[in-house]
Amino acid sequence: MKADLRATPGRVSWKNEAALVVTAFAVLALTPFIVTDSYSRHILIMAFIYAVVASNWDLSLGYGGVFNFGHLALFGIGVYAYGLMTKLAGIDPWLAMALSGAVSTIAAIVVTIPILRLKGIYIILVTFGFAQLVMQLILSQSDYTGGTQGMVRIQTLYLAGHNMIRDGKFAYFYIALAILFASTVFLRLLVRSKTGASIVALRDNEEYAVSRGISLVRQRVITLAASAFFTGVAGAFYAAYQRNASVDVFGMSLATIILSMVLLGGTSTIYGAIGASFVLTIFAEVMADFGAWRPIITALLIIVVMLVYPSGLAGIWASARASWLRRREG
Amino acid sequence: MPLLEVESVSKAFGSLKALDKVSFKVEPGEIFGIAGPNGSGKSTLFNVITGIPFGPDSGRIVFDGVEIQRKAGHKIAWLGLARTFQRETSFDKLTVFENVLVSGAYGKPNRSPEEERAGALEALDIVGLPRSRHGRLAEELSVFDRKCLMLATAVAMQPKMLLLDEPASGLTRPEIETSIGLIRRIADLGVTIVLIEHVLTFLMSLSQHLLVLNQGEVLTIGNPKDVIADARVIEAYLGTRKAAV
Repeated sequence: MKADLRATPGRVSWKNEAALVVTAFAVLALTPFIVTDSYSRHILIMAFIYAVVASNWDLSLGYGGVFNFGHLALFGIGVYAYGLMTKLAGIDPWLAMALSGAVSTIAAIVVTIPILRLKGIYIILVTFGFAQLVMQLILSQSDYTGGTQGMVRIQTLYLAGHNMIRDGKFAYFYIALAILFASTVFLRLLVRSKTGASIVALRDNEEYAVSRGISLVRQRVITLAASAFFTGVAGAFYAAYQRNASVDVFGMSLATIILSMVLLGGTSTIYGAIGASFVLTIFAEVMADFGAWRPIITALLIIVVMLVYPSGLAGIWASARASWLRRREG
Repeated sequence: MPLLEVESVSKAFGSLKALDKVSFKVEPGEIFGIAGPNGSGKSTLFNVITGIPFGPDSGRIVFDGVEIQRKAGHKIAWLGLARTFQRETSFDKLTVFENVLVSGAYGKPNRSPEEERAGALEALDIVGLPRSRHGRLAEELSVFDRKCLMLATAVAMQPKMLLLDEPASGLTRPEIETSIGLIRRIADLGVTIVLIEHVLTFLMSLSQHLLVLNQGEVLTIGNPKDVIADARVIEAYLGTRKAAV
């Protein structure tokens, strides 16, 4: 009976999932010893940043069913919050990185208020409008934000006694990996908790969920706020790593790339978005020689995968697991 | 003291009066039936009592001594008022166990995780959903199993009162028989039941009191045998005697 009370029937056990995650991250942690050139490490660092942003978007879009098209604005807020805090306020970069996550979280809570009573396309309109509003605010405050020129020479992160500029991006690799690890653990703990189940319940059937005591307002605020913290931290890390900030992060181009990662990976899995971030970032680099054909080939590849596996890359994993279970059962 | 007191409750959609000054009382521990032809306002009545998705335009609803006509739906649920819906409803992408666990956890707050899990397993046992189905996604279940699951999610809330909206709709005769037994079992747990049903035999076999709604108004209320013998009820269901022949 005790085992029954702990287990969640039909789901991978905590133990097995933790073992898989630790193994996967341990393998990633070894890659700088195999991939020694700084450009390849840079590609992996960008994949980690995209993976954080995409997997957190999966929380609100996939699990929550909230068409939050302002997610990239939360990333942009992290970028600028870090830039402003370190450059203008002289706040310690590590503290500024954590605070940037908090600023993005507050912004997410603010944007939740007008979308509480909205559904579908109206949420897209309001959240898209929110992203544009933030961008215009940044542009209008050019004395502080640099306007269309952006912010340059943003303070980078530091490690005592270690030169982060001349280490072939070794330290940055591990910081990005640590952020991705923390974000992934946080997201998986959340989606596997009863809070996560309530978020899915509201997405699946709002009225039924409310009749079971789930507060639409509270859970939607939790969903958006939870998806914002590590997105903001990733934005801050991006600013520290690139040492500049530009309003391009609010553009449709980046939003489209990250959305492709969420959809190609398969929504409501977290891991799918992370896997697709790696696939698309690395694929884009492999295809670099194809010039203008690169986005066309990438788009065709996404279409083919989505046609064959409508649940995305996670669907491939799910169908492989199902066929393995069928074979095992005989 | 009645567990539920509905006083002169009205609800209109534009010029259509869905409920017009409806009043009745439900005593603790009873099974209270609500009948009426299509469009008589039965489901609307459940909607305004539970605040899902809307409350009444006017009138007063008191549940367990608390006025609830202006309360949010989830807060009404916390007071111990659970409901089911006419169509089989579930959280499709959650497993059977998760459906019940999340309902119990939020519908009856302030319990330990162990109590929530034990409550979920007990609710599933009460409705007869075997352990072999606990790990399946709700969307994979049959209509009858989904109806049972909806009941289990309500039972997991440990409600004082359960509003059942046409639990027999879409079921076969043997499934209806099983449902009757299931509702009796839930009532035996001390849960007061208010039951909307189209199938009069279903209502007659369960209810201690029967209310008939017609065009948003209370047509009659009382002992089920007397109620169905009432000429106004026969007319509302079958039309005039001449038309019925």
